[in-house]
Amino acid sequence: MSQEQVQILQRALKREKAARKAAESILEEKSRELYFTSQRLEQLLDEKSSQLQGVFENIVDAYVVMDLQGNFIKFNEAATKLFGYDISREKVNVVKLIYKEDYPYAIASFTQLQTKGYFKNYEARVYTKSKEVKWVHINASVIFDKDKNPVAAQGIVRDITDQKESEEKLIASENRLASLIVNLDSGIVLEDENRNIVLTNNKFCELFNIEAKPSDLIGMDCKAASEKNKVLFKNPESFLQRIRAIDAAKKVVIGDDLEMVDGKILERNYIPIIIGGSNKGYLWTFKDVTLNRTYRKSLEVQKQKYYNIIANMHLGLIEVDTKGKILMVNQSFSEMSGYSMQELSGKLSKEVFPIDKKSSEIIKDENIKRNKGEANSYEIQIKNKNGEEKYWLVSAAPNINIEGVQTGSIGVTLDITDFKNLELQKEKLLSKLEKSNDELQEYAHIVSHDLKSPLRSIHALVSWLKEDNQGKLDDVSIQNIGLIETTLEKMEQLITDVLNYSSVGAETSLKTEVDLNSLVNELVSILYIPEHIQIKSLHALPNINGDRTKLQQLFQNLISNAVKFIDKEQGSIIIDVEDLKSHYKFSIQDNGIGIEKKYHDKIFKIFHSLKKSKDSSGIGLSIVKKIVNLHEGEIWLDSKPNIGTTFYFTLKK
Amino acid sequence: MTKKLKILLIEDDMIEIMKLNRTISTLKLDHTIIEANNGEDALQLLEQKDNLPDIILLDLNMPKINGIEFLSILKKDDVLKYIPTIILTTSNNQKDLLECYKIGVAGYVLKPLKYEEYVSKIEKLLSYWSINELIVV
Repeated sequence: MSQEQVQILQRALKREKAARKAAESILEEKSRELYFTSQRLEQLLDEKSSQLQGVFENIVDAYVVMDLQGNFIKFNEAATKLFGYDISREKVNVVKLIYKEDYPYAIASFTQLQTKGYFKNYEARVYTKSKEVKWVHINASVIFDKDKNPVAAQGIVRDITDQKESEEKLIASENRLASLIVNLDSGIVLEDENRNIVLTNNKFCELFNIEAKPSDLIGMDCKAASEKNKVLFKNPESFLQRIRAIDAAKKVVIGDDLEMVDGKILERNYIPIIIGGSNKGYLWTFKDVTLNRTYRKSLEVQKQKYYNIIANMHLGLIEVDTKGKILMVNQSFSEMSGYSMQELSGKLSKEVFPIDKKSSEIIKDENIKRNKGEANSYEIQIKNKNGEEKYWLVSAAPNINIEGVQTGSIGVTLDITDFKNLELQKEKLLSKLEKSNDELQEYAHIVSHDLKSPLRSIHALVSWLKEDNQGKLDDVSIQNIGLIETTLEKMEQLITDVLNYSSVGAETSLKTEVDLNSLVNELVSILYIPEHIQIKSLHALPNINGDRTKLQQLFQNLISNAVKFIDKEQGSIIIDVEDLKSHYKFSIQDNGIGIEKKYHDKIFKIFHSLKKSKDSSGIGLSIVKKIVNLHEGEIWLDSKPNIGTTFYFTLKK
Repeated sequence: MTKKLKILLIEDDMIEIMKLNRTISTLKLDHTIIEANNGEDALQLLEQKDNLPDIILLDLNMPKINGIEFLSILKKDDVLKYIPTIILTTSNNQKDLLECYKIGVAGYVLKPLKYEEYVSKIEKLLSYWSINELIVV
């Protein structure tokens, strides 16, 4: 080997040595670095695992570890607190914790844990040591050893009891709300922003005659439905137009009326639901207001009816305020007064209708009464627009508002001018009649006086003739003078009777209680009754309310008539009475000459004496009839010629 | 002692006047009769206050002033109202009777039809008044 070669080799060795040395130092450096790194890593690992340990130990939720038999081997603090068991002191198996009803669910979840190695979002109830039931949420997984064999299971348990409770409450209140909506008396449709039904209720189905459950309608497109259902409305086209307009405007619409073909009237409200500035849908509500509308309508009808009555009745109607200013009059009042509503409105009634002093006094008095709240009626005399005097009957009542304050008066007026004129005419006639009656009475007296005076004078003169010619007159002359005197007497009687006849009924008769029994007895004792005539009363006569003198005259006339016309050897007069309801019926029967039927009516007429005689003027029975009439009775007779006559008459009790 | 009466007869009927005169002379009574045919005449006569009658016989039916009017005037006079006034009339009208007594009369006698009755009534009337004490003015 050459030096050179040795040298080369030596130099190469030297270089190699240096390189190795450099490599060694690098390696040293690197291994030192590596050591430090591994040191750091280990440290980091420790750190991390202790960190993790702390996390599990310290997390708010419970952390549990159990062996494959379900025995708990680790509880963190929260778990101990949640379940109430101290597992360092007692053995606890998971089965003990499972709520009875949740058992199948728990088993299923465990099976999942075993097969898949985990389960998530397990929510069930558990018993705590104190047998309290709690809702828990569990996520669990299996723990494996380094050879991938399962050794345990771990889980994070969250107490969700409170959350569950509030959830339940929420659900309950949602249910309540839902059932409220379902059963609401208004039809409700909640639509989403695309006008699909989100919610509706029974009433809605009922209102639109939809034979489906409200829940079946969810998701239905309302836009299409309204097109289809337009036929339900009286005016389908305007219904659609309106819906479109509302839909386009998207503004709240309250109180639209929809008239349906079946007569129903619906009130529709539309409320767009806007949350946070964006449209979330629409709420439609429908309410059946048919009844309300018909009420209002019938109210209108009633109002119109009364308005028509007021307007067209033949009574004037006037409404004034408390100062007498005219507020309203009806058509009849305008016709009665001659003034139109325009002419009267706002005027004071007393200025429009000039009235006489008497009427204005009446009005003043009545207004005072009315201001005290009294209703009243009175007659006044007014002048209408044409200046004609009219009599009005006014019936007025205070007008009181809801608060009970008098705001004026309402008067009903009736034109009684015609009645009033008739009344005045009647009064005039009556007083005239009274006067002429009086005059007639006077006249009768004067006439009888004037007729009697000459008779008296003749009588005096004849007497003087007789006196002055005593002894000079022959028998025939004396007899004739006697006849003159008799004639004079008869003449005077006639005049007296006429006067009596005209007096009956003219004089104001005084009615008192009259005992007819004693009256007739008295009469019989006073009157001249021939021996052959017997008077009998079959029943006691009653007491009567009447004019004593006239009743006496009545019985006297009838009894003396009977006496006068008895032609039999044995005369009999029978007086009887019968009690009728409101009257007594008397009868006076004789067995005299009788009266032919054709004279029965005539005999009651004045001057109709059938038998002319000295003591019969023919006035007696007409006086009798007059007296009977005065006592509100009637008189008639039964008679057979030659057998006798019965006079019947009634007198009011 | 019977008094001798001064009688004022107010009567428009001539025969009635004759009747009274004849009655008095028939009965031989010593009374004086002053005649007046109507109320006006009578009032004129009664103006002579020194020659007033003791009694007045008054007919009701007279022309001009009738009996009742005359009576009213009489009763309003402070002096004349004391003279007893007897109505002598045909009228038995209740109204007249009432009115007369209301105003104030001393009697009311109806004239009968028969002259003999008349004589009898007048006799009684005058004999009554001739025994009465009368106010002398």
